[in-house]
Amino acid sequence: MAERFEPRILAILCNWCSYAGADLAGVSRFQYPPNVRVIRVMCSGTVSPHHVIHAFQRGADGVLVAGCHIGDCHYLKGNYMTLKRMKFVQELIRFAGYNPERFRLEWISSAEGVKFAEVIRDFTEKVRSLGPAPSFEASPRLAMGL
Amino acid sequence: MKTKVRQLLEEGRVDAFIAYKTVHGLPFPTVFTKADVGVLETWQPFKARYPVTKLLLAQARQNPDKTFGVLVRGCEERSLYELFKWNQLHPDKVVVLGQACPQDLAFYCECPKPYPDHLDYGEAPKPVQESRRLGELHGMPETDRLAWWLGHFNRCIRCYGCRDVCPVCFCTECSLEHKELIPTGKLPPDTSFHLVRAVHMAGRCIDCGLCEETCPSHIPLRALYKHVNSLVEGIFQYKTGVPDGKSPFTMLGEESFLPTGVR
Ligand code: SF4
Ligand code: SF4
Ligand code: SF4
Ligand code: FES
Repeated sequence: MAERFEPRILAILCNWCSYAGADLAGVSRFQYPPNVRVIRVMCSGTVSPHHVIHAFQRGADGVLVAGCHIGDCHYLKGNYMTLKRMKFVQELIRFAGYNPERFRLEWISSAEGVKFAEVIRDFTEKVRSLGPAPSFEASPRLAMGL
Repeated sequence: MKTKVRQLLEEGRVDAFIAYKTVHGLPFPTVFTKADVGVLETWQPFKARYPVTKLLLAQARQNPDKTFGVLVRGCEERSLYELFKWNQLHPDKVVVLGQACPQDLAFYCECPKPYPDHLDYGEAPKPVQESRRLGELHGMPETDRLAWWLGHFNRCIRCYGCRDVCPVCFCTECSLEHKELIPTGKLPPDTSFHLVRAVHMAGRCIDCGLCEETCPSHIPLRALYKHVNSLVEGIFQYKTGVPDGKSPFTMLGEESFLPTGVR
């Protein structure tokens, strides 16, 4: 039998809510798949569309950006910027021909350890079903890894 | 150009004026000062295009106290509006004269507004509202679209011509040359090169098409930037290249820009 595809998922989490939510999921021992690598940022509003593009360029199969719920951002309106940028970048990758479902934006508070585990489970399964992300290489030779 | 530009220069309303001079039978952008009023030519419609507002920006940066006049087409006026909004030029330091484009140029450019708001020379030609190429791309299934783009991107020689000619690429440090962001030493550059530029053109590209015309590899860049701007318009109701408003990416907050519905 062929080996099960294990997607590589990058999660960019804001320090004050979503990272704390991930921490809570950890100390509470909620089960979630080990496919996700986490980067902690001070606020989800610091995530540029470039970071998302760069993650795919470096071979991520899925990218999750998570921050505080609207109204709860510790820098007041940082996550408004997140919402604007991420909505845009998702549509941009769709237009370029990449499946926009490989990208997800979620609001996860520090109390939502359960939600964090659920999001990771759900997203991992989604990305697994989509298979490996297409390469960003524009040269056919490089794209095939030759 | 003879009378109006001459008047502006002689009355001292501008220190210099960027218009055109015929060189080897072709109109060529030229900076005229008071000393040159004698060589100003009569205006005639023409199809040659240059990044004149980029030349203006370079001049203005070198001479911050001077006031410049410039003769602009529709797209060039749109680029001025963006340069004002992005604080690259000061509206008090720029005097605008406008010229209409010939109708065949408007068709060639698929131009939505082939004349400036300030129209001093020529008659406004008919605009073209639909882009055929964009329509074609929107109709394509996702996977075909990826293959279509890669088929074009793989010809990129990373000459930066698209950036260098662009009237609204005004940054002094360019993300396209950021070594951590976009891998160097790779030809053709991967998709991230083009997507990063697309991100920067959102709320900025004024659809002049110079990038596509300049590209030695004939990559249909304009369709990419046309689309990012239609996204910005669709999501944030922000129109690029008009005098009012500010790009939604330049400000924090602003609930009114948020999409309606469940967040
Ligand atoms: S895009 Fe083409 S037709 Fe439109 S204003 Fe510019 S030069 Fe004229
Ligand atoms: S069409 Fe190309 S050159 Fe013109 S503003 Fe847009 S990106 Fe710049
Ligand atoms: S002008 Fe064309 S070939 Fe040159 S960097 Fe831009 S897209 Fe690539
Ligand atoms: S601090 Fe969490 S989104 Fe801004």
